[in-house]
Amino acid sequence: MRIEGEHVFKGPRADVYEMFRDPQVLASALPGTQELKKIDDNHFEGTINLRIGPVSGSFAGKLEVSDEVPPEKCTLTVEGRGAPGFAKGVGHVQFLDQGDGTTLMKYDGDVQIGGTLASVGQRMIDSVSKSMIRQGFETFDKALESRLAAKASGNSVEFTPPTEAEFASKVAKDMTKQILKTQEARILMYLIPMVAILGIIAYLLSR
Amino acid sequence: MTKQYTIRLTVNGREYQRTVEPRLLLADFLRHELNLSGTHVGCEHGICGACTILFDGEPMRSCLLFAVQADGHDIRTVESLGTPEQLHPLQEAFNEKHALQCGFCTPGFLMSLVPFVESHPQPSEEEIREAIDGNICRCTGYENIIAAVKLATEKMAADQ
Amino acid sequence: MAGKFIGQPIKRKEDVWLLTGKAEFLDDINLPGMLHAAFLRSDYAHARILKIDYSAALRRPGVVAVYTAQDFGDYWRPGPLQVPPPTAIKGSLFNAKPLVPIAKDKVRFSGEPLAVVIAESRYIAEDAFDDIVVEMEPLEAVTDLEKALEPNSPLIHEDLGTNLAANVIQQVGNYDEAAAQADVVIKRKILVDRGAAAAMENRGFVVDWNERAQELTVWANTQAPIPLRNAIAAKLGLFEDQVRVITPFIGGGFGPKIMTSQADDVLLPWIAMRLKRPIKWVEDRRENFLATTSERDQVHYAEIALTKDGKILGVKDVFYHDTGAYDPYGMTVPLNTQTHTISAYDVPNFYTEIKMVFTNKFVVTPVRGAGRPEGVYVMERLMDYAARELKMDPAEIRMKNLLRPEKLPYHTGVIGQDFVENVLDSGDYPAALRKAMDMIGYEKFVKEEQPRLRAEGKHKGIGIVCFTEGTAVGPYEGVRITVGANGKVNLVTGISTQGQGHFTSLAQIVAEQLSVPIDDVNVITGDTGHFHWGAGTFASRGITIAGTAAFSAATKIREKAIKLGSKYLGVPEDQIELSEGKIIVKGDPATFITLGDMAMRANPTRGVVEPGVEPGLEAVAYYGPPHGATGYGSVAMIVDVDPETMKVKVERFVIVHDCGTIVNPLIVEGQILGGMSMGLGQSFFEQMVYDENAQLLSASFMDYLMPQATDMPEKIEIGHLATPSPLNPLGIKGVGEAGAIPTPPAFAQAVENALADFGLQIMETPLSPSKLFGLARQARQGKGE
Repeated sequence: MRIEGEHVFKGPRADVYEMFRDPQVLASALPGTQELKKIDDNHFEGTINLRIGPVSGSFAGKLEVSDEVPPEKCTLTVEGRGAPGFAKGVGHVQFLDQGDGTTLMKYDGDVQIGGTLASVGQRMIDSVSKSMIRQGFETFDKALESRLAAKASGNSVEFTPPTEAEFASKVAKDMTKQILKTQEARILMYLIPMVAILGIIAYLLSR
Repeated sequence: MTKQYTIRLTVNGREYQRTVEPRLLLADFLRHELNLSGTHVGCEHGICGACTILFDGEPMRSCLLFAVQADGHDIRTVESLGTPEQLHPLQEAFNEKHALQCGFCTPGFLMSLVPFVESHPQPSEEEIREAIDGNICRCTGYENIIAAVKLATEKMAADQ
Repeated sequence: MAGKFIGQPIKRKEDVWLLTGKAEFLDDINLPGMLHAAFLRSDYAHARILKIDYSAALRRPGVVAVYTAQDFGDYWRPGPLQVPPPTAIKGSLFNAKPLVPIAKDKVRFSGEPLAVVIAESRYIAEDAFDDIVVEMEPLEAVTDLEKALEPNSPLIHEDLGTNLAANVIQQVGNYDEAAAQADVVIKRKILVDRGAAAAMENRGFVVDWNERAQELTVWANTQAPIPLRNAIAAKLGLFEDQVRVITPFIGGGFGPKIMTSQADDVLLPWIAMRLKRPIKWVEDRRENFLATTSERDQVHYAEIALTKDGKILGVKDVFYHDTGAYDPYGMTVPLNTQTHTISAYDVPNFYTEIKMVFTNKFVVTPVRGAGRPEGVYVMERLMDYAARELKMDPAEIRMKNLLRPEKLPYHTGVIGQDFVENVLDSGDYPAALRKAMDMIGYEKFVKEEQPRLRAEGKHKGIGIVCFTEGTAVGPYEGVRITVGANGKVNLVTGISTQGQGHFTSLAQIVAEQLSVPIDDVNVITGDTGHFHWGAGTFASRGITIAGTAAFSAATKIREKAIKLGSKYLGVPEDQIELSEGKIIVKGDPATFITLGDMAMRANPTRGVVEPGVEPGLEAVAYYGPPHGATGYGSVAMIVDVDPETMKVKVERFVIVHDCGTIVNPLIVEGQILGGMSMGLGQSFFEQMVYDENAQLLSASFMDYLMPQATDMPEKIEIGHLATPSPLNPLGIKGVGEAGAIPTPPAFAQAVENALADFGLQIMETPLSPSKLFGLARQARQGKGE
């Protein structure tokens, strides 16, 4: 499965890249991460709890950073194995200075899954991974904000990553939003309040 | 060791009290705890319908229910429909119309159909197809099942 | 040959058990002290096993034992092959790689067992999977049949140095010469993709070792109880009689339940002997998709050479056949493809070549049709494109080339799965086509109705195909029939039953021959404790082979009863007849002895007997045909396609079928309808999808779509012809796979016909709305060329 996209960070490229390479920030961008140990600057290991539709469980993960040209680009290789199956992703990430104080991050990569994840959960991988990426960027944005604020004021960085539960509920909401984009759902969104209002009027009239 | 729960439920008209793990499926409870093995497990993800039972009179997948969810409720399985000496009109009709071959999906069909034939005395073929659309049969191609349902409703009307 | 019972729509005796929930299926069996097994399976399709550490699993309460390949010691070994290699075919190459019971050092398909967990309940056994640490080194997976044979492809079996599992070439005449003389040569690449049998009941196994009696009892929902029993006894070093395999009621077979060397068959008996407690294993649906066999998966490069007025000069077919990670079942499936390509047609020059390839998917073994559907699909599609090219009507080109009845029995020159030449024994192929055309109103539809519908903007199409179905192959089956002292007749046989009604149809044959009430005949199938010679239920052979043996045995008893009755009643043998369970004097029914009393008298407990005489009224008989009996027929269907959603509705389905003498018309029609629904599934709904890592993406009913009641044709009509087979006294042929074989090509033709203005070409099955949409778009884009 291919994934690709871009995101604009509201900050200078050097800061964005530094934040991106901070293992604490990376770990928090993917809640469910139980621990992230640094083996060396380019290798990390940890465990992460994942839920994709009916398939959930704990994965032992490895993260490798390679082909690095700071602050321009790097390649991330993520491998996870666990009871629900395995996943391997390779992502190429580029950071482009927009010249207006913002940084454009472009990513493209390939994700391969196997085991129960693939045989039972494959239909949901696409939407769940898109949602996880979106949530991840929100976290990055907040982290960047705190980081820049701290830099400006000289204080230490204050940043609380979202909890696993918050993350999961956001993913669920995202998926519901996608469903609600259908026409039938939209009609319901009009009908339900209308019926409620009519019901209230009828009740009031009957008194 | 997970916490065990004591449940009380009525199955085929008889009251039972048992202590079970919360994750025990209702299908496994009926089959292995109560030895009512007529309800069959085909897919364990709610699609094939072989595990269909009546839960307070409504057809439901016992593979998607936990035994603890049946606490205080009324369950009916295929064993309650009829005996070899006294078959339910549906069962008689299935036999007459060759509506079963391996018979594994049959209890699920029967239980899905019981409320249907009781509320549809003269069903059209379309209505019957819709009624059994939630049950998969690999052997018969459904034709004879539809004929059997028609015959069963005729039998039930004649009996009245 | 209709009689009092044969040919009659007798209601099935076994139904009462099944309808009331009293029938015992495999998972209903519970033995005191029973343990439960679960298999930890590989996620990777191709990987080296570095380490399996199950020490934590052993500490989990409720877990009794865990085994990996190493723990079985010398007991672990591959194989043996279940079907021998095709040495009967000259020049054939076969690389034998039978199944291994559990992965050792390397996994070759996703779902291959890595470890067996034995626990107090299935729930706990599956919990223990989380405790087992597995380290594997993934390897590149092999999925594409053609790429697998390229020199730099990863190897599934390194010691072979190739992924080529087998190469078999058969020829009749000389195709190249024929093609050189032809006016038209049509070439196509045709794909028939993988589907599952997906019986409603998953596979299972219960084994009990009685240490004191030194006897092993196995309950298995197997199509081959006797080969299974022999395989288990051989592996464990037991006498065959120490092992008893009993088949309970089986919830559908369709082919994959015939395997005898899978993990459960091989490992659980060994474990039961060591733990000295009964063990049960039942598969779940995901395991069924991953690790129970499936079928189809062939890529054909086919061509047909014809004269300009549509006479076939020759057919050539070079095809790749996926056998999966191992090839325990030999060449059965692709050999069936070879014998069914030229099918019912007169093809003087035929070249067919199998390239069987190992891949990282699970093994391919027969699934209803067993290679025949692929051959028929290819041939029928070639006919359709030839018709298009020559501007002939599809029915016309078929009628022109069908073998005429006077040519039968026809020696095809192609060797089949039974390692003898396929001979088309009897039939009238043009009559079947004619009848199908009449039943569906072919000419009227094509000439009047369709043009009118097209003018209204409707997309309705018609398809018509012909097929043969090789059935009732050897080697043999046997039965033993015994008349009890109470006059009830018992028949036991080695084949097992999965819904095809043997309990009734075999009883009909016996009741007819012995003139007893059918309720007095009891049939026991698939219990090696009762009968231990035979091969199994496959290739639509049960009623023909076991039925003919039953007919022979019943005839022997009949003759003995008449002989004994004549002596007892004091009249010549030609004055004796059997009626209603009695041996009577013709014209004087008051003078009689019941069959039961006669049987009792024939079994004295004192005195002396004449030399050479056998006790009682009992007979054993075996039957093995010289080659299979070929059923055949024709299918026509009318479909309605919505060009926007590409949803296809089958409005009418007509099948004309000839399976020789019909023993029970209810059962025959049931088999045809069931086969049709599986054929429809393989046309438009069912597909096992593997990704490039050989991960199965459709391992549940959420993704693998099974046809439901609302997917069936609106109107189904079955027409019968009955040309008895000359191969057995009753003239029976098999019918089990008939509906599944012709449906996909008829569907493809009808859909192409419905979407004629799109000009699309269908060269694959199964289809789906999105595939049709893609094909239509391709056709529109290619129209400029």
